[in-house]
Amino acid sequence: MDFSLSERQEMLRAAAAGFLAKECPKNKVRELEQDDKGYDPSLWHKMAKEMGWMGLALPEEYGGAGGDLMELTILMEQMGKNIVPGPFFSTVVLCALPILQYGTDEQKNRFLPKIANGEQIWSMALTEVSGACDISGTELRASLERESYFLTGTKFFVPYAHVADEFLVVGRTSGAKEGISIFVVDSRSPGIKVEVIRTMARDKLCLVTFDDVKVPRQSIIGKVNRGREPVNFVLQRAIVLKCAEVLGACEAVIQLTNTYVKSRVQFDRPIGSFQAVQHRMVDRFIDIEGLRYLVYKAAWELSNGSPSNLHISMAKVKATEVYQRTCIDCIKNHGAIGFTADQDIGLYYRRVKAAEFFLGDADFHRERIAVELGL
Amino acid sequence: MEFKFSAKEETLRQDIRGFVKEELPPDWIGLGLAEESRDEDWELAMSIAKKLSLRGWLTMAWPREYGGQGASLWQQLVYNEEVGYWGIPGTMMGVSGVTWVGPSLMLFGNEEQKRKYLPLIASGEPDGVWCTGYSEPDAGSDFANIKCRAVKEGDEYVINGQKIWTSCAHRARWCWLAVRTGFNVAKKHHGISLFIVDMKSRGITVRPLISYSGHHIFNQVFFDGVRVPASNLVGEEGRGWYYLMQALAHERGGTVPINVGTCRRLLDELVKYVKGTQHGGKQLSQNPMIRHKLADRAIEVETLRMFAYETTWKMSQGAAVVWEPSRDKAFGSQVMERIAITGTEILGAYSQLDPDARWARIKGVIQNMYLLFPGFSIAAGTDDIERNIIGQFGLGLPRSY
Repeated sequence: MDFSLSERQEMLRAAAAGFLAKECPKNKVRELEQDDKGYDPSLWHKMAKEMGWMGLALPEEYGGAGGDLMELTILMEQMGKNIVPGPFFSTVVLCALPILQYGTDEQKNRFLPKIANGEQIWSMALTEVSGACDISGTELRASLERESYFLTGTKFFVPYAHVADEFLVVGRTSGAKEGISIFVVDSRSPGIKVEVIRTMARDKLCLVTFDDVKVPRQSIIGKVNRGREPVNFVLQRAIVLKCAEVLGACEAVIQLTNTYVKSRVQFDRPIGSFQAVQHRMVDRFIDIEGLRYLVYKAAWELSNGSPSNLHISMAKVKATEVYQRTCIDCIKNHGAIGFTADQDIGLYYRRVKAAEFFLGDADFHRERIAVELGL
Repeated sequence: MEFKFSAKEETLRQDIRGFVKEELPPDWIGLGLAEESRDEDWELAMSIAKKLSLRGWLTMAWPREYGGQGASLWQQLVYNEEVGYWGIPGTMMGVSGVTWVGPSLMLFGNEEQKRKYLPLIASGEPDGVWCTGYSEPDAGSDFANIKCRAVKEGDEYVINGQKIWTSCAHRARWCWLAVRTGFNVAKKHHGISLFIVDMKSRGITVRPLISYSGHHIFNQVFFDGVRVPASNLVGEEGRGWYYLMQALAHERGGTVPINVGTCRRLLDELVKYVKGTQHGGKQLSQNPMIRHKLADRAIEVETLRMFAYETTWKMSQGAAVVWEPSRDKAFGSQVMERIAITGTEILGAYSQLDPDARWARIKGVIQNMYLLFPGFSIAAGTDDIERNIIGQFGLGLPRSY
């Protein structure tokens, strides 16, 4: 057993913390909430070129740094701490990882270097109006006519689709329950309509309609009618990395609240000295400690080729609960000022539901845990 | 980072499972057994303690010269997890000796004390059983308020006063006793000293305190002019508070891996139960409420396990753990509480039945845990005291009391 970060991991953590504190302060987050694109292209390019983050977990032959999932976990934790608006998660986690795992050499050579150097933005169109995070909700039809597939259907909650160059689209290629395939689709293809939906996190979730969109037959990632496996592959990784992001957010919230309750004086004493306030802080602190180790363990298992769906789902339920409770209790510990727009805590609170309902909510994952327990 | 045990640790786990198969009745569960209460349970506990001692497990982490095996903290953790999981009796011999008297003596005792008392504990014999005299009627959470006093007369100390909530005093040969030796001190934390007291000494009276579960765990212990050789003072006079804080960290840290094992076993038993029980023609395991409750309990148990591992890892790195054992203990008592309550909800009306009742389910362990868990959240520092420690030392907040 070893809970320590390696030297390389510690360097990454420190570099990410330093870079983001400087390049992505909260006034930038607030600006980008009002921005149509929802991300800062100059920051995006610095993240790709200076920091090498888009290719962090990609092999060197595609312009990456050859890192592993554990490193990506450490990076996501720092991104969560700082709230970095933009299509990083959708590009790198939802798209680059499955292309690397299931793409042909031709596909990998064509797409991955452009992701690694920040040239392209990607997003995955998985969820539909049912809100289901797995293939059980997939109704978008892809029918084969000669050498092309024609995609028709609607995808919902697609992150940053409005700025994406390419999509990974999960579609139904056969009537069978499992008849799912994943397509690479150029976002400029005729028949695609993208609409940004306003959400409380201002995080650019989109409704994307596909109306007889023509894609070449060889655009499938992985095997035809065998899309379940790559979707599960993405979900396992995306869940853990989203949980790492939530972990970072929770750490930031408790930290800024800790500073506040130490400095805010009432009844001639810092309010952090009152047990009602202090014990609420402690309960959330314990929650976050627990979340941290569930996330690290699930990430370590994934990174070492022994993924555990049990531990992945545990991390997601925990992340969902802890994020919400931490924000709510910390707003209470702030008092009225916590309710104002110029305090950072509201930025985090408005992102709770985005994390909660992305990639399966708590009840979805409780059910998966029950199955893993043998129930 | 690495989250797996070494081959050596896994072998130990298998060896302990073999021991359980050989030495305990086939349907043994033993969770939440108050072994010091009934004579027949205590006899069984002591006979198993002797066997554990012969295997070298009872005090495995101690140095060989004092009756241990010099085992690593990780081996000790694996052992404790298994002890908790299988409900192995006799592993703590009334808790005190194995868990904190031994480790504290190694830190603060003199060589003569170490040579005399440590091998006795490690032997698993009745003469190695200890109790701990900390709390008094007016010194609970405010523990520095103790009044029980020791006054030096020649080469002896004379002890007068009263202790309460003294677990296992009715079985113990020795008492690890905190008393006041300094009376005009600036702070009440000063002037506290630790003594080793022979429970056979003249002037000691032990009176049982029966808990609401009907068990005899606690006692009141009265000291009336008890004479103790000066050589039984542990460390320096007046430094007791400092020693005690270390001992308490051991107490909190040492029991958490056992709780992890116990909670995992309860979870496994409940899973087995809902799969084998029908209600209205439907398996309980198909009830979504039950599925979700057990999923939540599983998350909590896994979290507690990670806490126990993280604290052990910090200790293995030579770090002084201050608030971590409090985190583990406060969270652990919550986990215990929730799993006990979930257990009663799953067993329904059957959860009320005594362990020896004809219709009892899962050998009555759910009832045991339900009756015991409030005790876990009080012993060795109440949940609120643990939160004070975490607030102060984990979050750096001002003292709140």
